[in-house]
Amino acid sequence: MADTMGQSATATRNTSMALGFCLLAIAPQIFEFIWSIGTIFGWGAGRGPATVVINHATALLGGAPGALIGAASGDTKKASSDVLLALIYSYPIFAVAILTLFMTIRSAQDYVGGVILMALGLFALWASSDLQGMRGFSFGAGTAPRMFGGLLVALSAAIALTGLLTDGPGMSHYSWRGPLFVMASILFFALAIRPLGVVVSAFVSFMIAATGSHETRWVEAAIVGACLTLGCAVLFPYVLGLPMPMFPRFLVQ
Amino acid sequence: MTFIRALTGACAAALASLSAFVAPAEAQTYPTRSITMIVPFAAGGPTDVISRIVTGHMAQTLGQSIIIENVVGAGGTTATTRAARAANDGYTLITGHMGTHAASVPLYPKLAYHPEKDFEPIALLAGTPILILARKDFPPKDLKEFVAYVKANAEKVNAAHAGIGSVSHVSCELLHSILDIKPVGVPFNGTGPAMNALVAGQVDYMCDQIVNAVPQINAGTIKAYAIATPERNPSLPNVPTTAEAGLPKFQAQAWNAMFAPKGTSPAILASLNAAASKALDDETVKKRLLELGSVIPGPAERTPEALAALVKNEIAKWTPVLKPAT
Amino acid sequence: MDLFANLAHGFAVAFSPINLLMCLIGALVGTLVGVLPGIGTIATVAMLLPITFGLPPVGALIMLAGIYYGAQYGGSTTSILVNIPGEATSVVTAIDGHQMAKQGRAGPALAIAAIGSFFAGCVATVLIAVLGAPLTKLALAFGPAEYFSLMVLGLIFAVVLAKGSVLKAIAMIVFGLLLSMVGSDIETGASRMAFNIPELADGLGFATVAMGVFGFAEIIRNLDAGAEMNRDLVQQKITGLMPTRKDLKDSAPAILRGTALGSILGILPGGGAVIASFAAYTLEKKLAKDPSRFGRGAIEGVAGPESANNAAAQTSFIPLLTLGIPPNAVMALMVGAMTIHGIVPGPQVMQKQPDLVWGMIASMWIGNLMLIIINLPLVGIWVRLLRVPYRLMFPSIVIFCAIGIYSVNNAPVDVILAGVFGLVGYWLIKHDFEPAPLLLGMVLGPLMEENLRRALLISRGDWSVFLTRPLSAVLLAIAAGLLLLTVLPALRSKRDEVFTESEN
Repeated sequence: MADTMGQSATATRNTSMALGFCLLAIAPQIFEFIWSIGTIFGWGAGRGPATVVINHATALLGGAPGALIGAASGDTKKASSDVLLALIYSYPIFAVAILTLFMTIRSAQDYVGGVILMALGLFALWASSDLQGMRGFSFGAGTAPRMFGGLLVALSAAIALTGLLTDGPGMSHYSWRGPLFVMASILFFALAIRPLGVVVSAFVSFMIAATGSHETRWVEAAIVGACLTLGCAVLFPYVLGLPMPMFPRFLVQ
Repeated sequence: MTFIRALTGACAAALASLSAFVAPAEAQTYPTRSITMIVPFAAGGPTDVISRIVTGHMAQTLGQSIIIENVVGAGGTTATTRAARAANDGYTLITGHMGTHAASVPLYPKLAYHPEKDFEPIALLAGTPILILARKDFPPKDLKEFVAYVKANAEKVNAAHAGIGSVSHVSCELLHSILDIKPVGVPFNGTGPAMNALVAGQVDYMCDQIVNAVPQINAGTIKAYAIATPERNPSLPNVPTTAEAGLPKFQAQAWNAMFAPKGTSPAILASLNAAASKALDDETVKKRLLELGSVIPGPAERTPEALAALVKNEIAKWTPVLKPAT
Repeated sequence: MDLFANLAHGFAVAFSPINLLMCLIGALVGTLVGVLPGIGTIATVAMLLPITFGLPPVGALIMLAGIYYGAQYGGSTTSILVNIPGEATSVVTAIDGHQMAKQGRAGPALAIAAIGSFFAGCVATVLIAVLGAPLTKLALAFGPAEYFSLMVLGLIFAVVLAKGSVLKAIAMIVFGLLLSMVGSDIETGASRMAFNIPELADGLGFATVAMGVFGFAEIIRNLDAGAEMNRDLVQQKITGLMPTRKDLKDSAPAILRGTALGSILGILPGGGAVIASFAAYTLEKKLAKDPSRFGRGAIEGVAGPESANNAAAQTSFIPLLTLGIPPNAVMALMVGAMTIHGIVPGPQVMQKQPDLVWGMIASMWIGNLMLIIINLPLVGIWVRLLRVPYRLMFPSIVIFCAIGIYSVNNAPVDVILAGVFGLVGYWLIKHDFEPAPLLLGMVLGPLMEENLRRALLISRGDWSVFLTRPLSAVLLAIAAGLLLLTVLPALRSKRDEVFTESEN
C-alpha cells in the first residue's frame, strides 16, 4: 500500500493543504482588506485599505510577539483587536498548517473538516474576546460564547485527530458552477427586491440560478421562469398579503 | 415551437397588462398611492395594535390604504433607523414610542439616528399607562409598604423585565433610580414570559404596560400597587395613582406617536396630522383605544409642536436614568 | 357534564357557516404557508392580522388557529419532498422523510405524516377540553431552572439523532450554540459577535439558517456533476402513494408515543413543540429493534415527530386559554388579534368568553378533520411534483426560498445570509457533518443560556438549584442516563458506521 507513488502524492497533497491552511489563517484579514477597497468608492464604512494592510501586517509580524513578551513580563496593557486576532486566530492556525506538513493524513475529510471548524471556533473566541466576563454571580455577555468557542475548538481538534489516527474517506470533490450561480442568483435577488420589485428580481434570479445547471434548456427555463414570476406576484403580495414592491421603483413613480 | 411561441406571447401579454395597472398616476394631491407605516415591534403588541386601530381610520380619511410593516429588532431601533433613511416623500412613516424616540438615546451609544434631528413629528397617538405589579403573595400590601420593603430587601428581591430597552425595563430603571436601589433585574424575552414568571411567583415584581396586566389583576393572579399616571384609569378604577399612593415622582407612560423622515413637506405633515387627529376623535377608535387602557391625548397634545416638546422632555428624562445602567 | 355542555356549545359555535368557512380558509392558508419554504407561520399570522380586523372575533381566531396547526401539516411536505424544513418543528421530519422520498416512498411518508398529525390533533384537542385547567399548573411549575434542565435534555436528544459520528454531532451542536449567541445579549444588551452589522443585532433567524444549510445546500449539492444520476433514479423509483399495511403497523405505536410526548411538552411555554419533535424521534430510535434504520428512511422517524409536533401545536393553546399568557410568538399574535377585538385574554377568559374558547376548541377538531381531507388527496399531487425535471425545479425552489426569507423580516440581508449558510451547508455535507444537530443547537441555545442565567440570577449564583428543585433534578438525571446510553456503545464500536454512510 505504501508504495512510492502514494508517498509522493501524499506529500504534494500535504504541502497544498498546509498552504491552504495558511490562507485560512489570514482569511479574516484578507476579507477586511477586500471589504476596505469599497471605502475608496465611498461604499460601506470602516478603515481604508492602506490602514488595514499596515495594521494587520504589524499585528501579525511585530505586534503579537511583542504582546506575548509583554504579557510574560507582566505588562497588562490591553492589546488591540488586530493583535488579538493574530494571537487568538491566526497563530494557532499557522501552527496547525506547519504541523500538517509532518503528518500522515489518513482521512482528509475529517482532518480538513476539523481544522476549518477549529478556525470557526477560534474566530468566535476572538469575536467574543471584547465582551465582559463573569460579574460576581451573574454571567457576563462574554462567558457563554467563550465557553462554547473553547469547547468547539477542543471538539474540532479531536475530529482532526481522528482524521490522523483512523482511516476514512478523502476529500470530496467540490464543484464551482452550482454554488457560483445559485449564490449569484440569491445575491441578485437580495439586492434587487427593494429597488426593482418582485417581478423583475424573481425572473432574473430564476434565470441566473438556471445557469447553474448544464442541463438547462433556455426557452423552457424562460417560460417556466415567467410563469413562476407571475405566480409569485399573485401569491405573495395578494393571497398572503405580504408587503413587497411589485415593480421597479422608477416605473411606479 | 409555435405552441411555445404562443405561450411566451401570452406570458408577455400578461406581464404587459399587469404593468398597465401601475401606470403612474397624474400628480394629484397627496397621497396618490398606499402609505407604508413601519411599526418597530412585532404584530399584536401594544404599539402594533394602536397603530392598526388609528391607521385603519386614517386610511379612510386619506383615501389610500396604509400598509403596516412590522420590522422587529434591537428594541425597535432597527426599524427606526430604516425609517430615518427612508425617502421623505410622505409614503414611509413610523410609529415611534418612548423606547425608539427617547430611551434609545442613552441606551444605544452607537444609535444610527437621532429622534429629534432625523424625524418630523406628526402627532401623538396614545399613551399607555405603566403599572407597578407584583406576584400575588408578595408581602407588601400597598405602595408605601412596597417602597419600604424593597429598600430594606434590595439584595433579596427580583425584578422582572421584558428585555433590555423594553418599556418594562426602562420604567423599572426609573423606579429604581427614584428609590435609589439596584435590585437584581431578571431579563425575559418579551412581556408574555415575564408575566408568566410573575404569575408563577418566580420573580417578585415588575413594571409593565396596562394592556397585558388588567385581566391578570382582575383575576387576582397578580396584584398592582399603583398606576404611574396623574389620573386613575377607567379599566382599573381601584388601583391608586402613584401620587395618591405616596410616590409622586414616579410618572411614566409608554407613549406612541407618528413620525415622518426629516424633510417631509409641511403640507403632507399637516394632512397626516389632521387625519390622525380626526381618527382620535372617532367614537369607534376612541372606544377601542380605551378598551386597551390607553390614554387618548387631548387636542393640544396632538400637535407636531407638542410632540416635538414631548420627545425633547423624554430624552432629558431618560438620559440620567439609563446612562449608568448600560 | 359541564364539559359536555361546554363542548356542545363549542360545536354549535364552530358549526355556524361563517366559522366553518373561516376554519376552512385557515386550514387552506396554513397548508399553503407550511408548504411554501421560508414563509413561517409567524410571518403569515402577522400578515393576516389586519384581515381579521373586519371579522367577528370568534371567526378571526378560528382562522388564525387554523393557519397555525395547518402549517404544521404543510410543514412536513417540503421537509419530505425537497429536504427543506419550513419550521423548527419539522427539522427532524426531514431526516427520515427525505430519505424515504429518495427511495421513492414520498407518498407513504406524506400520508403517514398527515395521519399521525390528525390522530395527534384529535387527542390533543380532547386533552385541552378535559384537562386544560389542571395542566396549566405544569406551565407554572416550570421556572428557569427547570427550563435549563429541559434544554440540556433537548441537546442530548440532538446527539442521539445523529446517524454518523457522535463526536461530529456534538461539535455541530456546539457550533449551533455559538451561532445562536450572535446578537444582543439578553441581560446586558451588549452586542455579541455581530460586527456592527445592524441586521445581526437580533441574531441569526432560524428560517435563515435552516433555508441555508438545508435548502440551498441541498440544491448546490444536487447540481454537482454526477448527482443527476441519483435524481433520475428517484424519479423512476416512485412506488405506491399510500402507506402499506406494514407501514401502518410500524408507525401506529410511534404515533401514540409521539402524541403523548407532544401533548405534555406542548404545554410548556417556549421551545416545547421543538423539543417534542426531537424527543419523539429520539424515543423511536432508542426503542427500535434496529436503530441503524433511522436516518435511512424509517417510517417511525416521520410518524413520531409529526404526531408530536401537531399534538404540541394544539396543547400550546392551553396556557393561552387558561392563563391568558401566550407561550410562543404565534400565540402572542393571537393575543394581539384578541386585543384588536377588545378581548384581552386572562385567567378568566374561559368564563368570560365561552363562545370564543369552546368555539375554538371545537373548531380545532373540525379543522384537523378538514386538514386530513385536504392533505391526503394532495399527496398524489406532491409526489407528481417530484417528476418535474430538476433543472426547472431547483431555480423555482431558490426563488421561493428567497422570497420566503425576505418576507420574514422584509430584510434583504437575511437572504444573503441564507445564501452564505447555503455554502456553509455545502461544506458541511462535503465533510460529513450533519445539519440537524446544528439547527437544534441553534434553537435551544438561547433558551438554555437565558434560563441558566435567569436561574443563577434568582438563586444568586447558587448552582445547586438545578439539583434541589425536584423537576429539574429529574430532567437532568434523564439527560445523564441518555447520554451514557448513547456515548458508551458509540465509544465501543468506534467508527464502523462511517463506511456504510457514503450511500447517500
